Amino acid sequence: MTRILGRVVSYVVLALIAVIGIAPFLYLLVISFKNRLDVLEVPPSLDFHWADISANYHTVIHDQKFPTFILNSIVVTGASTTIALLLGVPAAYAFSRLRFRGRDTWSSTILSFRFMPPVAVAIPIYLLVRQLGFLNSYLGLILPYVAFTLPLVVWIMIGFFDEIPREIDDAALVDGCTRASVLFRVMLPLVRPGIMVAATFGVIFIWNEFLVGLYIINSQERETIPIAASALLTVESPIDWNLAAVVGVLTTIPILIFSAFAQRYIVRGMTAGAVR
Amino acid sequence: MAATAPDAKLERSSRTLFPAGPTQRRGEVLLLLGPCVLYLVAFSVYPLAVSLIRSFQEYDSRADSWTWIWFGNYQELFTSPEFWQTVEHTAVFTFGGVAIQVVLGTALALFFNQRLRGSAIVRAILILPMLLTPIVVGLMWRMLLNPEWGMLNWLAGQVGFHNVGWLSDPGTALRMLIVVDCWQWTPFVFIIVYARLQTLPQDVFEAAEVDGATWRQRTRYITLPLLAPAIVFAAVFRGIDAFRTFDLVYGLTNGGPVQATSTLSFEAFQNGFQYFRYGYASAIAYVMVLTAAIGITLLFKVVRVRREEFA
Repeated sequence: MTRILGRVVSYVVLALIAVIGIAPFLYLLVISFKNRLDVLEVPPSLDFHWADISANYHTVIHDQKFPTFILNSIVVTGASTTIALLLGVPAAYAFSRLRFRGRDTWSSTILSFRFMPPVAVAIPIYLLVRQLGFLNSYLGLILPYVAFTLPLVVWIMIGFFDEIPREIDDAALVDGCTRASVLFRVMLPLVRPGIMVAATFGVIFIWNEFLVGLYIINSQERETIPIAASALLTVESPIDWNLAAVVGVLTTIPILIFSAFAQRYIVRGMTAGAVR
Repeated sequence: MAATAPDAKLERSSRTLFPAGPTQRRGEVLLLLGPCVLYLVAFSVYPLAVSLIRSFQEYDSRADSWTWIWFGNYQELFTSPEFWQTVEHTAVFTFGGVAIQVVLGTALALFFNQRLRGSAIVRAILILPMLLTPIVVGLMWRMLLNPEWGMLNWLAGQVGFHNVGWLSDPGTALRMLIVVDCWQWTPFVFIIVYARLQTLPQDVFEAAEVDGATWRQRTRYITLPLLAPAIVFAAVFRGIDAFRTFDLVYGLTNGGPVQATSTLSFEAFQNGFQYFRYGYASAIAYVMVLTAAIGITLLFKVVRVRREEFA
């Protein structure tokens, strides 16, 4: 009897955890379905009107150019992640395989950039991008985002390279491959899960970044989702809550889709440093 | 580490087959590592160095010019009561938040270890808050906590707390910031601790159970000590991230009410980007860089210890 009771309590707790996790998302969705006055009703009724819903979403999607922001986010995130992988994977391979003076110092210095407070570099990066003439362009965002993502890529990839036995490299080297061809022909297929994990984390970080982007971009044509959202949703701006909620929902949907595909990589990446 | 000996032998034998001098080896390192290092020098090291220099200067926004004032910014900083309040907020937010997250995250890991049906779905749900754009996290919680129509505020009203200005009252705003941070990041601690829990050998627990140890004893004397490295790692990692939190403050409270939730990151941001006091902002940022460096050193100690332990 106590066993059954314990089971029941456990399931109640499990349900409670699920509710705490997901309720804010559902609340956002509910508010996004309401007109301006119905927002004020507590607790919110679940009696929705299609006219309100379509009006809200129409306003945000058509009048506030949301599709442009999504496109900008995809371009910037895709390009930055790709460049970061191209630079970071060979570096991680070198750290994992080659022995050279100061290797550990170099690797921990690179990794420590992962933890730098972004405000410490935000101003000089803004000035640098301005000097290069890349304000208001994709490149203006991509250049710093690659730098922010690189340490993460190196950190994750070192772990994955370390797991592959060195005998494989050595065999290929004895067969006459150069280091570069060992990396590209032999290693890359073997570390593909690692590349997926690194890409996943790069994407999450870049997709959400806005502190640096906020000042580099000042035309709506080039704004990414968080930059646009921050202009629409911050504490200081007067808010139509229902429209703000639509922005929130539309920002969240791509993340939900992404997480459905990337979930196992996310878990692997988080535990990469901790559990070996 | 045991792999060193045969590896060295192999390397020697391959060198006799293909005499690869140190120059060629240096070429390899440069080829693989060079682009990454150069890139970081341009877009991380150089900006950090500029920040350091700027922290000794004062910016005149009207003339767009810089003057050396050496330790002037730091002097102003350390004698400013506002700065010390910011330090206090940051410390409370970092240590308070991380402590709660560590306790809850570990409890969650132990709870999920029961493998209840449906727990895989709940685990997937718990990952979502971490992926969410911080601006949107702020928006969600400003809605939930709205004093007039927020759902949480209504729930609180049902148990006797009527119309509390959670975010507009300086006394509760910082606590709400911690609550929201915990909602978003407790899952991070949970995932790391849970993953470690899955790798522990089951026979230890079975043996203890056979010997008559209760669940409480097993947890206290076996599970938690075995989980300790993962818990410490998660705590330090989370601590560094919480310390530099900017987005959440910006999205949820914008540092207010009356600077009650202004953290170091936010203070640096305001001074730099809103008041154009680049020099002063750089000085705040540098205090952060040095503090973060201490945390990072600590983290690398933890990571290295763990590497040896499981190698």
